[in-house]
Amino acid sequence: MFPIKLIASKKTKSYFLGKNQNKFAYTLLAPTLIFLALLMIYPLCWTVGMSFTDKRVGLDATFNGLANYITLLKDPIFLKTIVNTLIYTACAVVLKIVLGMVMALVLNSKRLRARSLMRSLLYLPWALPTLVSIYAWKWMFSDVGGAINFILQKLGFINQQIGWFSTVTLAMISVVIVNVWRGTPFLGISILSGLQTVNQDMYEAASIDGANAWRQFWSITLPQVKNVVLLASIITTIWTLNDFEIIWLLTRGGPDNGTQVFSTLSYTYGFLNRDLGLSVAISVFTLPVLIFLVGIAAKKSMSDSAE
Amino acid sequence: MKTKKIIGYIGLYFLLAVMLLITLFPIYWVLVTAIKPNAEMYNIIPNFWPENPTFAHLSTLFGKYKFAAGIKNSLIVSIVVSAVTIVFSFLAAYALARLKFRGRGGVLRGILYAYLVPKAVLFIPLYMMVSSLGIANTLGSLILIYPTFTIPYATWMLVSYLKSIPVSLEEAAIIDGCNRWQSMLKIVLPLSMPGVVSTLIISFTLCWNEYLYAMVMIHDKAAKTMPLLLSEMIVGDVFAWGPLMAGAAVASIPILILYLFGSSKMVGGLTTGGVKG
Repeated sequence: MFPIKLIASKKTKSYFLGKNQNKFAYTLLAPTLIFLALLMIYPLCWTVGMSFTDKRVGLDATFNGLANYITLLKDPIFLKTIVNTLIYTACAVVLKIVLGMVMALVLNSKRLRARSLMRSLLYLPWALPTLVSIYAWKWMFSDVGGAINFILQKLGFINQQIGWFSTVTLAMISVVIVNVWRGTPFLGISILSGLQTVNQDMYEAASIDGANAWRQFWSITLPQVKNVVLLASIITTIWTLNDFEIIWLLTRGGPDNGTQVFSTLSYTYGFLNRDLGLSVAISVFTLPVLIFLVGIAAKKSMSDSAE
Repeated sequence: MKTKKIIGYIGLYFLLAVMLLITLFPIYWVLVTAIKPNAEMYNIIPNFWPENPTFAHLSTLFGKYKFAAGIKNSLIVSIVVSAVTIVFSFLAAYALARLKFRGRGGVLRGILYAYLVPKAVLFIPLYMMVSSLGIANTLGSLILIYPTFTIPYATWMLVSYLKSIPVSLEEAAIIDGCNRWQSMLKIVLPLSMPGVVSTLIISFTLCWNEYLYAMVMIHDKAAKTMPLLLSEMIVGDVFAWGPLMAGAAVASIPILILYLFGSSKMVGGLTTGGVKG
């Protein structure tokens, strides 16, 4: 990786080795590291600290031990939120992986024409502002003038207008649909970049040996893109677990807290009920899972970068 | 064998057609709604093509909803943050990609952690920090906060990009008498322009689309960014779908231009650089 051995002259050697380089590296890194320490590490520590207090907006904080955590564990809404978050994340992530894989395979097909145009078009949901996609779907889901009810009626799937946000199940299905629509291109393009590195000769050998397309997919394609799929899945899981905009703007966590997830509940407790201590305790609850997931992602992606 | 091939073609293009339909229909619906007169908006049978296209929603958007102010605010924040980000991140990425120093692995891991820390965890402490600094309700608060998600991302992207630039060019420059700063700024920086540009585009997009922090930090009408103005077109159960969709279309334009401009580089994001298949 580093050109240490390639450089003969003593003068240049000192630029790549020794104390000089530590100093130069830290000089270059200083702005970024100081910024991240002040605006990420410090606030994160503060979050953890504040979760042990009864801090409310505009009032002083007093230490109250584990009271917030006990309140949360006794709070039926919080328990419901855990279940909702898991359902939302599991459904959305699985769908995004499957559809992302399909998208990547289609885009990677040798028979496909206008590949880069197709790729750009299918990538659009990921590039558009989140709010644009959320409101586009909210309008399509609308029971007055909405396109989805009309299309489903025309196709004969339903025979009356559906209030997409009116029951818990339908509301959950709706937010998952929007999340999947928006998030699939990330998986698709990531997996595509992995597919492009798969050795093509293996397919030829496999088809001579009589392996069909399905068999080739499981035995050749999947093992080779496993790491990319895994990394992209972990990243998308982290994002989905903490998704705020889609649920907040579509359902506000309703009906009857049926789509309430960690981030929306944390916002509700913190900014609507003004109970900051309780609100950050929710965030702290999610941290172990988060650290675990980022840990795997780091391990997966650093195997290449940290040598 | 031949029929199999034909079935393959049909299957492929059928899948592609379904995906394109699902991907593009909502976008099409936004555009159609943006130019559809209110009279056609709530028909029992929706118009899939407006009979009397109108620019009324656009003028409501810029008149009544003062959308231009939101766009201006969003542009200021996005441009300033992207510019600051690229400076910080380029320097950091150069160190991480090119220099050997103690703690390199740890810093790299820290950048990745920072990239993946969700906003949902940070918005309350950041809000309190901004209020105690007395800059709540200003664009300055967003300019201070947005680099928390742009810098880690940009650094990560640039590290993988910088690694793709041959080291031998730098060696040659150093042998010719450049010092490390010169070789970084005069050799590596020009060569990494494609990476820098696409990182700038993504940073801009991340800021332009941001909603949660803006909603928490900004309550003054004057400092509201474009996403906030969009979300405020919904008051209670009254939805101004026409202007809202016109706003959505307008909000997408800069992003579409940028992506068209840099589309060949817009692949993969984090996973492109981070992993070997």
